[in-house]
Amino acid sequence: MSQAQFEKERLGTLVISASNCRGCRSCQLACSFAKFNVFNPAKARIVMERDVQTGHTAPMIHPIGCDLCSGDPACAKACQYGAIRYERNGKEYKIRVCQ
Amino acid sequence: MSRPSSWIVHVDLSSGKVERKPVKEGVDSAFLGGSGVGWKLVAERLQAHIDPFSPQNLISINPGFLVGTLTPGTPKTTVITKFPTIASEDGKHYIGACTGGSRYMGIALKRAGCHHLLVTGKAPHPVYLRIRDGGADIVDARGFWGHGIEEVTNDLVRREGPETGTVVIGTAGENLVRHALTIIDKTNSLGRGGLGAVMGSKNLKAIIANGTGDVEVAQPTEFMKVSEALSNYVLQWPKREHWIKLGLAAGWDTFKHTQYPGIWPKDRWDELYGEKTRMETVEDVIACNSCLLGCRLRWKTKGGEYDGEIGFGSPFSKSATSGMLLGVEDHRKMIHFVADANSRTGIDFYTTTRLIDFVTKMYELGRLSKEDTGGLELKREYPTYLKLYEMIVNREGFGEILADGWMRLKQEFGLDPQDYWYAGICKGVDFIYDARPSNFHPLMMSFFTRPRPHHGGSHTRTNSRNKTIEEVREQVERWGLAKEVVERIFTAAQYTGKFNVGRYTSHMEDMMRVKNALGLCSIYTYQGLIFGDDMTRLYNAASGESFSAGDLIEHGERISNLAKMVNVKEGFTRKEDKVPDLWFRPMESPEGRIEMQDYYKTKTLTKEDVEKLLDDYYDERGWSEDGIPTRERLEKLGLEAYLPGLAKST
Repeated sequence: MSQAQFEKERLGTLVISASNCRGCRSCQLACSFAKFNVFNPAKARIVMERDVQTGHTAPMIHPIGCDLCSGDPACAKACQYGAIRYERNGKEYKIRVCQ
Repeated sequence: MSRPSSWIVHVDLSSGKVERKPVKEGVDSAFLGGSGVGWKLVAERLQAHIDPFSPQNLISINPGFLVGTLTPGTPKTTVITKFPTIASEDGKHYIGACTGGSRYMGIALKRAGCHHLLVTGKAPHPVYLRIRDGGADIVDARGFWGHGIEEVTNDLVRREGPETGTVVIGTAGENLVRHALTIIDKTNSLGRGGLGAVMGSKNLKAIIANGTGDVEVAQPTEFMKVSEALSNYVLQWPKREHWIKLGLAAGWDTFKHTQYPGIWPKDRWDELYGEKTRMETVEDVIACNSCLLGCRLRWKTKGGEYDGEIGFGSPFSKSATSGMLLGVEDHRKMIHFVADANSRTGIDFYTTTRLIDFVTKMYELGRLSKEDTGGLELKREYPTYLKLYEMIVNREGFGEILADGWMRLKQEFGLDPQDYWYAGICKGVDFIYDARPSNFHPLMMSFFTRPRPHHGGSHTRTNSRNKTIEEVREQVERWGLAKEVVERIFTAAQYTGKFNVGRYTSHMEDMMRVKNALGLCSIYTYQGLIFGDDMTRLYNAASGESFSAGDLIEHGERISNLAKMVNVKEGFTRKEDKVPDLWFRPMESPEGRIEMQDYYKTKTLTKEDVEKLLDDYYDERGWSEDGIPTRERLEKLGLEAYLPGLAKST
């Protein structure tokens, strides 16, 4: 088990409910700000899947580089539509990983 | 860190030349950034008296200063151009600003380092414009010409990548229909009054952006502190839970009173177009960038001949009003009509359906004949409406006249737009609300005092009914207006009702200029969730300035005056700021007679009352009685350089 994954399991998990995503991208902006003090979705550890046909969007956590903000993930705090929720250890591990 | 630098990208479609230059030092600070700077560029570069369809016309595209940051609700991009609507009998055209939110477009422009995009010229064949990091390129779009907005948007995003923001025109824009608009990211309309046709005249099918850079603020820690506090406040709004289920489909309880066209009884309207039909049709709410109050919609029709049809945007209010005007009882038919206008043709649904309503009635009254319509019998029925709609979009037969709008009807057939029976018309644009059911509140006044007669971010507390005088007062107090100004607004006179709408409107328009420059959506202001003092804290942290709320609104006043001066140069005066005659003719409805009253319904307003309120509006602005800024006021605002031949002091 890598150190990063160990940390994730120890701290808790990000639970993604993609159907709740409204596409506001606050999670990406909060993540890049927490890490780099700038707003830039490309620097976020979240990739936003987009189906242009249906208009659906879904956040996916990047497998590398997310340290769950040391137990207080900025993305989960920024999401106000219930698409990203942080659960402390002991709950089901349901992180969606981008291929 | 100091204020982040900002850049102008100028693309000339005739020569293919692309230039990128920084905004000069001090300009951002004087005009707030975003559309404030955009207006300055237009004032300096747009030649007066040109045809809106000529290559000399300029499109100025300005994501708000706060777009791309994490705030509650600053996703708006403002576009300024000379609109092709025929605004007066002598053929004037206004220069106006339109504004729209987005999930992708605004932030993609900012990330590309394009804070102000200027487009001039005319491409030799259909193209789209691609804004990328540090520049732009022009791409062949001949394969897209003649295709619908949704189809082209889907293709562009698949081709250019999922971060791509889009502004696309439909076939109406290509055919230079004067009330063609554009659609951003498939979800937001932009540019009533003909932005789509201006793009069409330039052979410009779409503008797309997909920058990858950072969006920065001057004081990151302070910025996030302010932003989080504001977000926490917005999240406590008791109506939020309902709102984010229905988005712009929420609020029927207000809408059915304020936008009532007076033909069916309200109960009947409720049954056909009310909350129940909305609940059945809304699939998802879609939020603009960083918005906590998502309002755009993905909807799906249930049952009927359009069963399963999916669309984007906000079809409910406009379909309900036009459904009543046209006598179409099946809401699904009207939603289909809106959907086609949004997804394929890009025509303004309001103007199109009202023109159809007007000519159909004129035909019924014998004031138009089959000879006038090119043999088309104008029946009051849905299939005929669709036929006429296609004729307008394609400028075919009688549709060619309607594609030029209200003034052309007057020129061709002597049909006076002032005779139309709903909402009111000024500067060639039909308003989306009528001041008789809505009551005369500041938004109604701004429809005829603004250069472009559409709301464009002017919403305030009084858009909703039954706000207390304290709530209305808070709206201006928290924008930093001096005590004596607030007292002037709330000193009632015989002609005002409880407060002076004329004086209020001048400041409300300045607030609107600030909101548009920064990118703030007016849903937050009209719901009383964000005020000028909040915006000042956000703006200061983002820019490194130390403004007061009063400073911020004075900057808004500077932008308002500049926008006015650009239009004065075109010959606009008080004559064009004309109150619609319709508002003084009571609406005879199944609910009884509805007269235009003040917001608190203390009195019925006469034409003389409203003219006095217009005097007060000009007085509050320090303009002449003819509605022209004075040298003194322009000097005070640092704008004296912008036009010679000003009015003398009031």
